[in-house]
Amino acid sequence: MSNRQVAMVFDLNKCLGCQTCVIACKRLWTRDEGMAYMWWASVNTQPGRGTPRDWEKSGGGFKDGVAQSGKLPTKKDFGDAWEFNHEEVFYGGKGQSAHLKIVGEEPDWGPNWDEDQGAGEYPNAYYFYLPRICNHCTKPACLESCPRKAIVKREEDGIVLIDEDRCRGYRFCMEACPYKKIYFNHVKKVAQKCIFCFPRVEQGVAPACSRMCPGRVRFVGYKDDENGPIWKLVEKYKVAIPLHPEFGTDPNIFYVPPIAPPRYDEAGNLDESKPRIPDEYLVSLFGPKVLETLATLKAEMAKTRAGGKSEVLDVLIAYQWKTMFGGLDRDPATIEWTKS
Amino acid sequence: MLVNFVRGAPVEWLLDPEAEPWLKAKPQRIAMIGTPVGLQPTEAIRAGWANKPIGAVHEVQVSALHNGEVLAFRLEWADATENKELGDTTAFSDAAAVLLPVVPGAPVITMGAPNLPVNAWYWRADSDAQGREVLAEGIGSSRTVDVSLVHGHGVWKGGRWKVVISRALQVNSPEKCAQLTAGQKTEFAVAIWDGADAERGGIKAFNGAWLELQLAPVAGGGKG
Repeated sequence: MSNRQVAMVFDLNKCLGCQTCVIACKRLWTRDEGMAYMWWASVNTQPGRGTPRDWEKSGGGFKDGVAQSGKLPTKKDFGDAWEFNHEEVFYGGKGQSAHLKIVGEEPDWGPNWDEDQGAGEYPNAYYFYLPRICNHCTKPACLESCPRKAIVKREEDGIVLIDEDRCRGYRFCMEACPYKKIYFNHVKKVAQKCIFCFPRVEQGVAPACSRMCPGRVRFVGYKDDENGPIWKLVEKYKVAIPLHPEFGTDPNIFYVPPIAPPRYDEAGNLDESKPRIPDEYLVSLFGPKVLETLATLKAEMAKTRAGGKSEVLDVLIAYQWKTMFGGLDRDPATIEWTKS
Repeated sequence: MLVNFVRGAPVEWLLDPEAEPWLKAKPQRIAMIGTPVGLQPTEAIRAGWANKPIGAVHEVQVSALHNGEVLAFRLEWADATENKELGDTTAFSDAAAVLLPVVPGAPVITMGAPNLPVNAWYWRADSDAQGREVLAEGIGSSRTVDVSLVHGHGVWKGGRWKVVISRALQVNSPEKCAQLTAGQKTEFAVAIWDGADAERGGIKAFNGAWLELQLAPVAGGGKG
């Protein structure tokens, strides 16, 4: 346990699947050697197999407090980093005849392979986007699994970091993480993952994925800050809950579950007797508490429709962009950054 | 095991597992066993390996030579696959190590104990030439203290690894590395990791007990 804990809340009702968070992270952190296939921040369509492929079924975490064995995803499960014929198309003078294509083996999976497929049948098909980063868990399975003690959870903010000097690339952490959010750098031969933009957090700047999000999806802050959005959404109103709480790691990324538009019945009339996204599917992702969370959200929405006020909806709407960052709202352009 | 003194043997010879001096050395056959799953340092590893066999290599042949300055071990074992590329997240490298006590009485089965350090000279096929000087004071405490002192070289041919791991007898290090002298008697143990079986860290074959290591004096011929 750390003294304080930074956390995020992702409002799935606002996520557009635009991947801006993914690219913000990519450009900032995973452009060095051996990192091409890494997406510390990812966004996948649900229902779907996700990234790495079928991660939800790959084990790890804890059951009744006991560590569970987990599988190592392959590079192909992660989606690998495809090579393209950029040279030929852009610089080879064949711009009119050569078309952009993948060089080498035709891939059968990628980091966002099943985008927008979802489930269900017209006119009641459904899908939503699920952004993911490292959960910076209160009980990190990665940290507990590492025989090298190469993973630390920082006292001051609960950020989970891998010490690359101690790491020997054994990848027990990748097996143990039930969210499969740790990558192996094949050049440096060490495990790497989301660092919650700790150099930014230390300077009062929100992580790049949240600051760059055009949809105002990603709230940031300290969990115990009663003036910040995290405490209000998670503790006070209980409208944000962790993904796969049964994995037993006590994650610190929370989700406001999605409410899809109403269904149509066979006559083409709106049918609100059951939800478009089946409850059992959301329960399989977020646990049974998701039903209470949805009920709270719907009650708050009804309140505002009737002309009332709702603090929780005001927080979620985020009228003032900077209120999303729990005080971590400093403009990174005001800082002179150096790479050590 | 007697470590013969080979006067003037250049380090390049010692680092070539197929060089003349090695072919003359009579190796000691050492039986290997898997490390006990209950002694793995973390619960996740114990859970992951509870139902999997540990220790793919059952026997290793070890010989050793020194030239008065450098001590080299040659390890040879059967391994059907050469694993030296980490091309995929699921690929692991073959590896080997020689363990030496830093102080008498350091336990081998737990990789030392607090204040009873052991010193491993570690070689891994994916970084062949660069060995690692590793210190440990108990299970889960291994740490690399230097990457320049230990040298290695492995040759895999026809289903067999032949690997040499060497280090100067005396090293200048602020760490508690084993310091050796020609003519002295000490002990050693060995460990082998089979990458094809995803062996790494504490998941390995080892011989489980200290074996005698007698370094011949530099004068040669046992005359001291």
